[in-house]
Amino acid sequence: MKTKLFLFFIIGLSIYLIDIGLNSSDNPKEIYISDQEVLSLVSAWESQVGRKPTEDEITRIINNLIEEEILYREALLLGLDQEDRIIKRRLAQKISFLKQETSTDKPSNDDLIEYYENNKDRYYVKSAYTFTHHFFSAENNSLIRSTNGFKEILNGSISIESDPFFLGKNFINKNEDEISRNFGKLFSQNFKEDIKTNEWMGPLKSSFGHHIIKVNNTIPGYYPLITEILNQVEIDLLAEKRDSAIKDYINSVKLEYKIFVNKNLEY
Amino acid sequence: MNKFLKRLGVTLLFIVFFIYILLDVDFNNKRPVIGLFKSITHSDSALEIVDFSVDKPKSNKVRPAANPDRNPYYGDLHVHTKYSFDAYVFGVTASPDDAYEFAKGKGILHPLGYEMKLQEPLDFYSVTDHGFYMGMIQAYADTTTDISQNDFAEPFHNLNAPENLVVESAGQRSNIFSNVLGAAIAKPVPWWHPRTLKAWFTNNTQLALESFEYNIHKSAWADVARSANEHNDPGHFTTFIGYEFTTSTDTEGGNLHRNVIFNSSKAPIRPWTRIDSINPEDLWTWQDGLREKGIDTVSMPHNSNGSNGQMFEMETFKGNALNRKYAEQRMRNEPLVEITQVKGTSDTHPLLSPDDDWADFEIMDKRVGSRPPTYSKPSGGYVREAYLNGLTLDWTNQGNPYKFGLIGSSDTHTGAGSFDESNYWSKIGLLDGDGINRGSIPVSPEQEQLLIDYMNAFNQPNALIELEAGKFANTGFTQWGASGLAVAWAEENTRESIFNAFKRKETFATTGTRIALRFFAGYDLKTIDLDSDTLVSQAYKKGVTMGSDIMNKGEIAPDFLVWAQGDKNGAPLQRIQIIKGWIDMQSGTPYEKVFDVVCSDGMSVDPLTNKCPDNGARVNINDCSISQNVGATELKSVWVDPEFDPTVKSFYYVRVLENPTCRWSTWDAVKSGNTPREDLHQTIQERAWSSPIWYIPAINEFTIIPLGGTVAIGDE
Repeated sequence: MKTKLFLFFIIGLSIYLIDIGLNSSDNPKEIYISDQEVLSLVSAWESQVGRKPTEDEITRIINNLIEEEILYREALLLGLDQEDRIIKRRLAQKISFLKQETSTDKPSNDDLIEYYENNKDRYYVKSAYTFTHHFFSAENNSLIRSTNGFKEILNGSISIESDPFFLGKNFINKNEDEISRNFGKLFSQNFKEDIKTNEWMGPLKSSFGHHIIKVNNTIPGYYPLITEILNQVEIDLLAEKRDSAIKDYINSVKLEYKIFVNKNLEY
Repeated sequence: MNKFLKRLGVTLLFIVFFIYILLDVDFNNKRPVIGLFKSITHSDSALEIVDFSVDKPKSNKVRPAANPDRNPYYGDLHVHTKYSFDAYVFGVTASPDDAYEFAKGKGILHPLGYEMKLQEPLDFYSVTDHGFYMGMIQAYADTTTDISQNDFAEPFHNLNAPENLVVESAGQRSNIFSNVLGAAIAKPVPWWHPRTLKAWFTNNTQLALESFEYNIHKSAWADVARSANEHNDPGHFTTFIGYEFTTSTDTEGGNLHRNVIFNSSKAPIRPWTRIDSINPEDLWTWQDGLREKGIDTVSMPHNSNGSNGQMFEMETFKGNALNRKYAEQRMRNEPLVEITQVKGTSDTHPLLSPDDDWADFEIMDKRVGSRPPTYSKPSGGYVREAYLNGLTLDWTNQGNPYKFGLIGSSDTHTGAGSFDESNYWSKIGLLDGDGINRGSIPVSPEQEQLLIDYMNAFNQPNALIELEAGKFANTGFTQWGASGLAVAWAEENTRESIFNAFKRKETFATTGTRIALRFFAGYDLKTIDLDSDTLVSQAYKKGVTMGSDIMNKGEIAPDFLVWAQGDKNGAPLQRIQIIKGWIDMQSGTPYEKVFDVVCSDGMSVDPLTNKCPDNGARVNINDCSISQNVGATELKSVWVDPEFDPTVKSFYYVRVLENPTCRWSTWDAVKSGNTPREDLHQTIQERAWSSPIWYIPAINEFTIIPLGGTVAIGDE
């Protein structure tokens, strides 16, 4: 008889507890710390430290939680959250993170391939050129001398009088960017895949003077196999996914908003 | 019984005393007994080697062919990211990966939100975060980590969350910065703690610090190393695993900072830091230890200008006399010195070189990190004087510990070096990321109080300075600048080739401009046709190049071949100078002299003054435009020292000057429609310095032995 009574009492108590648990947010002066909240803090603690927290430590964790909650509620009562840029930004950041996190899974092979196909140009390996040149320094009438030099070469002269170039005479397997670093953009933009090979051309202007050049060899540019650059593709894809998750989200909810900005504001 | 006790007591006392003697006896600064014991029981965690290489698929990309005449490769060997305690405190969130992407030409974001992008990508780069507390501050700020739950971590919580990235937090940030170096962080765990024992047995002092978490530290270092290996692209882009050894003298506020870079994908499991020892000589011993295990390293001192004269001292760290052993160890481990960077240039100081018209260049005369900003004694802090002192030390048979080559680097704390005066973002993120805070644009009345608060936090009582041009922030950042670059002469753009150039000292430094500079010495360079296409290969064959010695050849004076090419995107060249240093062989007294050797615009050097005439290049301060058609795209000559004496120890290094251009502070003012400050240089002449060539006279029949008895002769 006694045990049954006790059982009823327990059932009654749990119904009561569940009830206040469900309605906990109603009264601003009551703070309910859920078991789940405590347990998750304890397990976080445990995973970091490698042991369970002591009684004292649990008390401290819970007290911190309570104090923070009290200050937070008091602040809400005072309306301190209204029109606070920092809070707005923090919340905006929070939802951005949430939206980002949903897409950090390791991408599948199909995803990678699809991404690579769509962004192929980013991974293009540029053409490499092997060429030699005669240099005419800007310090010494480069245009006239190079024009004359070019004529001499066309007339079959083998050695023409030119200046030594700081970085040398022969350039082997350099791509357009590397040529640009050595000679300047004005010069490097002459290097296209269909550039004539094995014949002298010029004079071409660079940052340092004029050049008569002969391209001996061109290694055409190509799209590398995805296996060659897998790491890079994966890093890029994840970065893009994170960015687009937020954009997609904003776009999806933007339509629900009407936005008013004073078009006549002067500033 | 009583007798027995007495005897036992005496015996015990004797044993204790004996053990004390055994353990603690100090012989020659070492404790041999303890050392023996330690070598059996202890492991050295700083010598545990890890291969950090990244599994990368094979690439078929073609490489430019190696050039036997060598190419100049431009890079930066001094870059901080979020893993540096101070960078993180200054709002920097850029990772090593971001830093390497920046070097390859991609734009990355400054903490204030604008884009930082290079005009032209770099050839090599090394992220060198502070080894000391690497990765820890970031862990304090991240409130999900356990270590952040400690009291000492609280000021760092959510420090770099986007809402906190505002200039207004500068004062708070400066305060936090001082705390890091202060006692709050360096508190040890109690002596009985198991971590204390572990620290002792693995030679890893930091384990015994309460605020330290070894796993976080190791993983930050592993990420630095991984990132370097990930971005290394042989033939196109080179990276080095590296870090900064951030030490200083304990009494005189002398910064002894050095960067250390590694020659391969392998490195120790953790960097050797100031917690291990604040004595740079111990760093070199560690480097020697690594070398025995097949890992080669180069360490490079920087900001000698702010070392209060301590970087190039005439005595050891502990105040003993320098000797050959010291000189050899120092030169074996640090063949290079960073002569220029954002915090000023360390070529020479007007007080040290009063006859050098170009000595007053980007002088930063405060001790690094001092608050309030405190004057740094010039003597002992500048490269040229160190070269001279090296000759004197050599003359007194102490060896030459100052026979180093030169590089420049940025020391940026944003992951991105700022090399361009017209597009400058300074060094430390939120604190100097705009013109007002770095003192180039006047302060508005509303900002005054903020700055006063901020500078008080910085322990700088005079927050504002009133000038004709307006009221400016007196933050001390006006002495900083858009500098510099390290350049290596290497066959190809690979780790091996460029690292070997560092070891050979075949390097030069620039203030951020892409000047290229050749320098050779030899006994018949005059016979080479300067207009020949084989000029360089002949010079290599017949002479020596920058960073080397040229030996005496009877009475003949050596020829010096110099050739400089201007920056495609910079101002034209104005002149090439050779700076000569030598000593009086009777007294060891040092002397120096600057010779102009090639002038632009077809002008020639005045033989009386050794100077080029003014080429008339000017800058319009109102819009920063410069004179057109003045100056040269390249300059070239062979020079012979008119005062050469074959018996005198000497060195020669080259300085190339561009035409003047606007300084960053003038650009800031012009772009914002303000007047440039009258108390700052309005223009600068960007420049490059070569590593020296040392002339070694024939060995004398007698050796000079100085009196006084403090000098050790030969090996100790």
